[in-house]
Amino acid sequence: MVQTKKQKYLFLAFCLVPTFILFAIFTLYPLFSGLYFSFFSWSGSAAAREFIGIDNYIRLFNDGIIPRTILHDYFLVITKVFGIMVLAMYFAVAIMQMKIKEAPFYRIIFFFPNIMSVVVIGILWTFIYNPSMGLINSGLEAVGLEQLARPWLGSETWALPAIVLPSIWAGIGLFMLMLMGGIGTISKSYYEAAELDGANEWQQFWKVTVPLLWPQIKVAVLYIVITTLNGSFIIVQIMTGGGPNNSTHVMGSYLYQQAFQQYNFGYGATIGVMILVLSLLTVFLLQKLMKREKVQY
Amino acid sequence: MNRSFKRSFTVACSTGLMLSALAACGGNGENAGADNEAENNASGGNNTAEENNGNNAEGNSNGEGNGEVAGELEIQYFVGGYGDSWWQEVISDFEAEYPDVTVTHHAGPNINDEMRSRWVSDDPPDVVYIDGAGSSETQMVEDGQLMDLTDWLSEVETADGEQLEDSFIVDPATYDGQIHSLPLVFDTWGTWYNAAQFEAEGYEVPTDFDSYMSTMGEIQDNEGIAPFVTTGQHPYYFLRGVLTPAFGAAGGDELLADIVTGEEGVWEREEVVAQMEKVAEMQEAGYIDDGFGAFNHTQSQMNFLLGDNAFIPVGFWLPNEMAEDTPEDFEYGFIPSPMQDEGEPYAIVPDLRPLAIAENADNPDAAKAFVEFVFTQEYATLFSEHTGAIMNLEGVDLSENENVPDYLIEANAMINDPDQVQIYHRPHPMSADLETPIGDSLTALMLGTITVEEFIEDAEAATADYRGE
Repeated sequence: MVQTKKQKYLFLAFCLVPTFILFAIFTLYPLFSGLYFSFFSWSGSAAAREFIGIDNYIRLFNDGIIPRTILHDYFLVITKVFGIMVLAMYFAVAIMQMKIKEAPFYRIIFFFPNIMSVVVIGILWTFIYNPSMGLINSGLEAVGLEQLARPWLGSETWALPAIVLPSIWAGIGLFMLMLMGGIGTISKSYYEAAELDGANEWQQFWKVTVPLLWPQIKVAVLYIVITTLNGSFIIVQIMTGGGPNNSTHVMGSYLYQQAFQQYNFGYGATIGVMILVLSLLTVFLLQKLMKREKVQY
Repeated sequence: MNRSFKRSFTVACSTGLMLSALAACGGNGENAGADNEAENNASGGNNTAEENNGNNAEGNSNGEGNGEVAGELEIQYFVGGYGDSWWQEVISDFEAEYPDVTVTHHAGPNINDEMRSRWVSDDPPDVVYIDGAGSSETQMVEDGQLMDLTDWLSEVETADGEQLEDSFIVDPATYDGQIHSLPLVFDTWGTWYNAAQFEAEGYEVPTDFDSYMSTMGEIQDNEGIAPFVTTGQHPYYFLRGVLTPAFGAAGGDELLADIVTGEEGVWEREEVVAQMEKVAEMQEAGYIDDGFGAFNHTQSQMNFLLGDNAFIPVGFWLPNEMAEDTPEDFEYGFIPSPMQDEGEPYAIVPDLRPLAIAENADNPDAAKAFVEFVFTQEYATLFSEHTGAIMNLEGVDLSENENVPDYLIEANAMINDPDQVQIYHRPHPMSADLETPIGDSLTALMLGTITVEEFIEDAEAATADYRGE
């Protein structure tokens, strides 16, 4: 049966319009209202607000804490991308290639943190880092390394690196599964051919696994970058609240502090615009940097 | 290679399992807390029900003739360390007194955030108790959300037949001479210690800064702990609990007013610098717990109760808030933070939690009736019994009351003795825009990463920002 043009358009509209309406309500509207509020002086807790033009943006450029929050965010982005990708790749390859009997068990164990809420992870690691009764300091003392014990989250120097560890721990499982899926699609014959050609396991990894896994690696890196820029504030908020002395504030947690604790909602919206612009720029640059020809053997 | 890989996997697995077990512990801990809270409420609820029976009968007999106050009355109140049993009882009695009024409660620990959209859309509740995270009296006044009560207050009498404006222990805050809120809870910050431990070990309860330092030194030597702890995640605990009274003692109401209004050069004044040097002295002597920077208020309070530290600055709500976690042999002792010089009385700066009526209240008559109803001797006494704290009403005699905890009776007697304690006032609370940056630098000073001079520079920069320069 041939569809008329009208029927075809009706069907397309039936599929697209509800999605577009939902997208407009839940994505476009908040996006544009955020942009709109960034031009107002508004406490965010009352109806009254005053249009102040670009004053919030001027304030943004003169705010000494902003560069620190950007630095902290990108520190988390870089350490998380490397930490998660290296470990997820290592575990994925190990489980898939080494044919260990307990593979399904390890898969569950590594994926376990992903089913836990970030809030629970944050609280759990706060206990682990507790200076007097935490696992880390007690462990260091037990093995005679008490000189290395320190108030991890309470130190301006160590608090941010201390947040990286749970972020990586919580992220490995999902990307390990993603990479395992990718490895599963690579035909064994490529490895056999490479072995016949005299390639060792290390060469097989770089010449066969990585190029054929590149689409998954690219998606994983982009996903880590975006979720870190937009979502790292949850773990920061739970574990340190941005302190001590702003040493762990990321853009998101500083936005939260300004908008909801200092009653500068308009300025908070301006920080939100900055996060959007920086996220877009970063993703655009990464897309360029990670662009490769699709490999087929 | 394969075997070593397998071994490392076993190690990884056991670590993973251990972490999962810990996660489960953490989860249970949280649940236990929630259960405790529920229990608390339940026991409060039982009390309320019993006591209400008596009051309801009385209320009904008085209720006639108050028919003009009617309709729905929405009350928003934050539930924190003081619990909600007092509110339940008062509101229940109010409904009995005014049978034509139906009260809708908006209550909970996150109620300020939950009700935000109502305030933003100009559809606020009628009465609001301003307390807890996410609420700011100064901000609400600046936003024009609170009714001007100046004229009404000059006429209103309490149910005890007293002129209400003459009955407060501390007068309401004024904004350009106008009154927008009535101080309900007379909170005060001070320093807590374990009285049982002090008695057993023979430690001297500090009476001024020098004796404070010497007691902390003795505790540090004997117990091998850092004697002082506070929350670094909320530096305002130290700012309000220790520095504010210290400034009161050093420079009186005038200095406090200049500090909260961000007067130029206030942090450079000699008496302010002297107080900041005392803080640096505590840090240099190693008396401040070096892990405090990451502690939230609950963690710092738990460490204090577990004996990891000996002194903590918190408000009157501490025993009530930590009731379920207090060890049996622990006895709460309270002194105003001893930052004053030798020979001077302790200083206290009341931190008031007000009750206010929304500018756009739907039922202002019922709202006013409720505010009038609350400020009585009966409910002030009940407040102390339920919460272990003081309501801001004069003439309430707690000394013979068996239902009021000992620490409160002692603290109350101390506060009312001008030879021991001098009370100072600030015109209104400090704005979050000023308190936050000063708090951040204060944390750095207490961690020892900046000097007093650097702190003063930061604080002056924060006041300049606040003044809009």
